[in-house]
Amino acid sequence: MSDPILQATGLHKLYLSGERRIEVLRGVDLAIAAGESVSIRGESGSGKSTLLNLLSGLDAPDSGDLRWEGNATLAPARRGRLIGLVFQAFYLVPELDARDNVLLSARLLGKIGEPERARATQLLSRVGLSARATHTPAKLSGGERQRVAIARALMNRPKLILADEPTGNLDEGSGDAVIDLLLALCAEEGCALVLVTHNAAHAARCARRLFLREGGFHSA
Amino acid sequence: MSWPLYLALKQLFPTGRRFPFFTLISILGVTLGVALLIVCISVMGGFGREIRNMIVNTQGEVQVRSFGLMKDPQAVLKTVGTIEGVVASAPFAEGVVMLQHENKPAFPAIQGVDMERVESVVPLRRYIVAGQFDYLDDDRVILSSQLAVQLGARLGSKVSVYSPLLLEKLKTDEILLPRELEVCGIFEIGHQQLDSSVVIVTLRTMQELYGLGRAVHGVNVKLAPGADPDDVARAINRALPVDGLAKSWMDSNQEFLFVLQLEKNMIFFLLLFIIVVAAFSVTSSLLISVVRKTREIGLLGALGATPRQVAACFCYQGIIIGVAGTLSGLALGFSVIHFRNDIVAGFTRLTGSQEALARFYQFSQLPAYLSGKDLALIVVSALVVSTLAGLLPAWRAAILKPVEALRSE
Repeated sequence: MSDPILQATGLHKLYLSGERRIEVLRGVDLAIAAGESVSIRGESGSGKSTLLNLLSGLDAPDSGDLRWEGNATLAPARRGRLIGLVFQAFYLVPELDARDNVLLSARLLGKIGEPERARATQLLSRVGLSARATHTPAKLSGGERQRVAIARALMNRPKLILADEPTGNLDEGSGDAVIDLLLALCAEEGCALVLVTHNAAHAARCARRLFLREGGFHSA
Repeated sequence: MSWPLYLALKQLFPTGRRFPFFTLISILGVTLGVALLIVCISVMGGFGREIRNMIVNTQGEVQVRSFGLMKDPQAVLKTVGTIEGVVASAPFAEGVVMLQHENKPAFPAIQGVDMERVESVVPLRRYIVAGQFDYLDDDRVILSSQLAVQLGARLGSKVSVYSPLLLEKLKTDEILLPRELEVCGIFEIGHQQLDSSVVIVTLRTMQELYGLGRAVHGVNVKLAPGADPDDVARAINRALPVDGLAKSWMDSNQEFLFVLQLEKNMIFFLLLFIIVVAAFSVTSSLLISVVRKTREIGLLGALGATPRQVAACFCYQGIIIGVAGTLSGLALGFSVIHFRNDIVAGFTRLTGSQEALARFYQFSQLPAYLSGKDLALIVVSALVVSTLAGLLPAWRAAILKPVEALRSE
C-alpha cells in the first residue's frame, strides 16, 4: 500500500452535555490510501460526522494523532487543495450561479484564471449541468445542487473527497444518481473518497466498508 | 479581484437580482446623509463667501487705521505700496452724519472715498443701481438703496448733511450751515445693513464735513491674487510707524467669521449623525446577514478561507455601501445645489414667502459654495463611518468556527 493521504491513530473525541460526558470516538484508527473509496455507516449519533470533521481538520481531536500526507497540521489553504468536501445540505452560495459556485473553491485559493474557468465548465459538463451553469441554486433541484457541490469539491483536484451523507436530502433516484456520479468522478480524477452514509446499498459500492459503533470501527 | 471583494459584491448585488432591497436601503441611507451634508455645507459656504466678498469689496483685503487721525496719508500710501503683495491702496475717511431730505431725517454712516484711487481697491461701480459713480464730486452724494427709499430721495434730489462739526462750531457760537449735496447715484450691495445706512461722498467733502484738513481715518488695501492678507498686514505693520495698525479683513471680522465657522461646524456635526444613523442600519443589516449566512461562512472556512478573509468580505460590504452611497449622495447633493434656486422659488411660492427671503436673508439668489476641503471632509467622513459600520459584523463573522457554523440550524 502506498503512503496514506490521511492517517488517523487513536482518535478520541468527547462532548460535554451539562454534567454528562459523551465519548463519541474512542481510539479510532483509520488510514486512507490514494484513490481508494471507503464508506462509513453508523447509527445517528454514532460519531460519523464528528469523525469527518476531524479528518477534514475542521475540528481537533481531544487525543490521538492525525496526519495529512505525513503532516500533523492542516492550514485552511492546504485543506482547500488537499480535501474536497460534500455536505448533506449542499451549502451552495445562493448569490452565485452554478458556475461561480464551482469556481468558488479555486477563488478561495486565489486561483481564478482561464484554466480554472475551463475546469469549472468541464466539471459542470461532467455532472450534466452545462445548460444550468448560469442558474442560481434557487432554480436548481436538490439533486442538481448536490451535483454542483460535487463539482465544487473536485474543482481544486483534491486527493481526498469527504462526503457527509450526500444523499441525505435527496429522493432515492436522485441519491443513487449522485452516488454513481461521485464514485465515477473520484475514479476518473484518481482521488480517494470517504463516504459517510446511512444507506447500506450506497456504502456497499465502496471498496472498503466500515461501521462506526460505540466509538470505534467494526467491519460492516 | 480578491475573493472577499468578489463575494462582497455578489452578496450586495446577487446574480439575477437587479435591485436587492437590503443593498438599496443601506445605500439610500448614506446617500441622503451625504446629499444633505453637501447641500447644507454648500449653502453655508455660499453665505460665508458672499459675506467675505462683500467685506473685501467694501473694505479691501487689508485695512490700515491710525490710532488717531492719519495726518500724512500720502506717506502711508507710499509705504504700503512698497509691500510685496499689495497692488493698490486708497485712503478713506468715515463717520456718522445726519441726513435730511424734505424733513425726513436719517443718521447713516458716511464714507469719504478718494475718487482717483478707490476704484482700484473696492469695485463700487459694480454696486451702482441708479445714476453714475463717475458723477460723484464734491457737491454730490451716492445713497444706499434702502436709505434712498427711506428718505424718499431720487437721483437729482438735494439732501442736507449735518456733521458733528456743526455742534463743535456751536460751542464757539459759530453757526455752520448744513451742506447741500445732490444725489447722483444709488448703490445696492446686497447686505441689508449696508444698503440701509451708508452714504458715499468724495474724500474732500468728508474732510470738510469733519474738519479733517488733509487727514484721513485709514487706508484700504487691495492685494494680488493669492497673497495672504494676514502676512501682508504683518508686513505693513513692520513697515509703518507705531501709531498705525494694519488688519486683514479676517482679523477685523474675527468674531463674525468665528460665528460663521461655528455654525457651519455645528451643522456638519449634526448632519453627520444622519450618516451615523445610516451606518447603524448598515451594521444591523450586516449582522442579520452574518446570522443568516452562518452556514455559508462555515462553508468558506471549510473550503480554505481564513478568518481574516471572511472578515474582509463583510468589511468590503460596508465599504462598498459607503462608496456607492457617497457617490450617489454627491450626485444628488450637487443636483439639488444646481437647481437650488428653482427649488427655493417653488418652496417660497408655495409658502408665499418670496419677499421675506430677500428681506431677511439679504440674498435674492441662494448662494452656494463648497470648498475642496469641505468636500473631502464629507467624503472621508461618509467612507470612514460606513467602513466602521462593517467592522462589527466582520468581527462576528471572523470568530465563527467553521465546524460550529456548519452545524448551525
